[in-house]
Amino acid sequence: MALGRITTPLVALAAIGWAGTGDALAQSAADRAVEAAQQYAGTTLTITWEAGLQSLDPLNFSGPKWEELTGIEVKVVEMPITELFTKTLAEHRAGTGAYDLLNVVPAWMPDLVYAGVLEPLDAYVDRYGYRDELQDIAPTYRDNQMTFDGQIYGLPDDGDVFLLYYRTDLFGDADNQAEFKDRHGYDLAPPDTWAQFADISEFFTERMGEGGYGSALIHSPGLIHYLFEERFRLAGGQFFDADSMDATINGDIGVDVLSDMVAQLDNMPPGAAAWGPIEVLNSWLAGDLAMMIWWPPPGRWSAGYGTDTEALSWLPESTVAGKVGYASTPGARPQLAAGFALSVAANSDNKEAAYLFAQWMNSKEISLQRVMLPFALRDPFRTSHFESEEYRALWPAAGEYLDALKVGSETGLLDLSIIDTFSYEESLTRAITTSLAGGDVRSALDQSAEEWNEITDEIGVDDQRDAYAIWASKPNAYPN
Amino acid sequence: MSRISAHTGAAARLAEPSPVGVLADRYFRYLIVWPAILVLLLIGLFPLVYSAIVSFQKINRRVEDTSFHGLLNYGRLVGDDRFWESLLHTGIFTAIALPLELVLGFLLAKLMLDRLPGRQVFIALLLLPAVISPIVAGAMWRLMFDNIFGPINQVLGWIAGGPVNILWTINDNPVVVYSAILVCEIWQWTPFMFLILLAALANVDRSQLEAAELDGASYWQTLSKVILPAIKPVVIVALTIRGLDLVRLFDIVWALTRGGPGTMTETVSVYAYIRGFERFDVSFTAALAFVVIVLLSLIVMAMLKRLEIAR
Repeated sequence: MALGRITTPLVALAAIGWAGTGDALAQSAADRAVEAAQQYAGTTLTITWEAGLQSLDPLNFSGPKWEELTGIEVKVVEMPITELFTKTLAEHRAGTGAYDLLNVVPAWMPDLVYAGVLEPLDAYVDRYGYRDELQDIAPTYRDNQMTFDGQIYGLPDDGDVFLLYYRTDLFGDADNQAEFKDRHGYDLAPPDTWAQFADISEFFTERMGEGGYGSALIHSPGLIHYLFEERFRLAGGQFFDADSMDATINGDIGVDVLSDMVAQLDNMPPGAAAWGPIEVLNSWLAGDLAMMIWWPPPGRWSAGYGTDTEALSWLPESTVAGKVGYASTPGARPQLAAGFALSVAANSDNKEAAYLFAQWMNSKEISLQRVMLPFALRDPFRTSHFESEEYRALWPAAGEYLDALKVGSETGLLDLSIIDTFSYEESLTRAITTSLAGGDVRSALDQSAEEWNEITDEIGVDDQRDAYAIWASKPNAYPN
Repeated sequence: MSRISAHTGAAARLAEPSPVGVLADRYFRYLIVWPAILVLLLIGLFPLVYSAIVSFQKINRRVEDTSFHGLLNYGRLVGDDRFWESLLHTGIFTAIALPLELVLGFLLAKLMLDRLPGRQVFIALLLLPAVISPIVAGAMWRLMFDNIFGPINQVLGWIAGGPVNILWTINDNPVVVYSAILVCEIWQWTPFMFLILLAALANVDRSQLEAAELDGASYWQTLSKVILPAIKPVVIVALTIRGLDLVRLFDIVWALTRGGPGTMTETVSVYAYIRGFERFDVSFTAALAFVVIVLLSLIVMAMLKRLEIAR
């Protein structure tokens, strides 16, 4: 053990010197990571990952492949997304060093940085010549998932963004087009605004008859705040007064947006006020909806890509394959809505190896394979992914799908990411669900704003102002 | 002679044990139970004491300050409307579910006391809900109440003669959403009451029942003067156990509504989970838990006192 402590830095130093040579930089980032990591053969890396389909990537693909290449075993600790933060923080506070590599939702990054949980990665990125490849990652993901206060704490690893899915057969139908134009005076096409979204939803709810609806959206607690945040900012809303840090979600903009969200329930299936991702997806695949907003995976599943794998055997058979169009959400500033970054735990005993595994997984070459895994949930996040001929050939409309994702990756709105974001989101979620259930919108938002102010006071107005300023200064925090 | 005296002396020594022997004899029984007591203290008391200590500190998502902060968290708790609301919601669930479970359990037990054909099968079937994990029961009832796939609205539609579209777990009408949770809760835990009361009723002294019958007592007189007094201790124990369970009500609410819409159905356990495990507000949650423990202890003490066990 003692010998290991002495030799490991020496070997690492040797690797640094080696990695700095021109020959080494001629290699791919993935190869550099593998070669440097081979010195750690025999060790075990413990990584946290969201349970379910997400974790099939390290369990079935990247973990075994990494072990084969480097001799480093990968132990995956799966947990529900709601527990990823608390368990990570609890282990850090207990000083167990239980985790080496972490999956971090960007909204939590400030909390984890302030708590000292995350290792700054700039030195590793330079040491292993990875900075150039980071530039291939779409700008919004870099802004959302990579840095806090100018330092790199995570490698953006998931292209989460909301996407509008629509039925090309219904939108392309000549009768529908004529009838819609007659009624609304403009062409039937994927909506550019939320007002158009409401018109189209209403139109198709009438046209599709019993069991058919214009749209369905994800309204379940823990996720519904994303849609509000997107629409609120698109309508010109700001979360806080940047000077006083008073919450401003309960102004007229917030009330109008939330009231509109409530009104749109009329053109969604009964009970959709509480629908989560699965209910929306099932309804979509069954052909009951003309439009839906979801993350990227249904673009693949709707076309039938990967649905024959065992991991996706639970998915209902798609009745809409070949009839799916992809577009940006109304306003063309879709919310990124979560995503994951790969971060190294500050109290890990295997930081170097953990970073190298992250670099290898995240590299152009390996990440393309990972985002094409039919069963996993990592979505394209690199420019090279969007342009990949291999990906574009996966199903007939894959090119259109990647084009739509690329737009989102450039224009997507960042998730709010300040100190204790979760508490703000939890409060906002209660206001939204109360309103969707029929409660008074203004009073629900007033109460939430009051709670936001209490949370800010508890954190400290100055500290939160600083964190908010860092976030708000990023290009896609607000639309303008 | 000397041999006799030597024997006598030895006998006397045997008759008068040494002080060490006396002490060993007196404390040996304590010595052998000491490890078990230590384990119990570690398991039961240590977390309680530790929670109490943490409740006076300031540990949350941002800060890990283990210095003494006085009644900071308790002050926040007292001023926290959401905590009092959650306590009220818990009280409402308990006040409605507990008597209903008791009455239904008692009626079922009375029914099953008679030797009905297929009685054993009925009893086994009646106990099934209590065997299911509450989170599974909640998920199952969520499907039952689903307004598209669930049979509840469909059955109500047959009765009403037209489509019924009640959003059981989403509606902002407390009568609707509370009913959904209560149906699930009562469905799952009435069998527990039934089982306990069946055992109690089966053990009511037959001679007293026969004497009441010979004396010409009516059914209600027999029930109120003979049966209920006889099963009262068991009823109080059953009420205490179920009452404590209801104060801790979490799984069913979480599966059905997650405490929503808004905080309409948020129980104190759901609130504690959100504050502790989602918001990582550790010291505040410890204070909350400690207050709930004190409240529960007072209830248990009152019930035990009523049962005259505490004396």
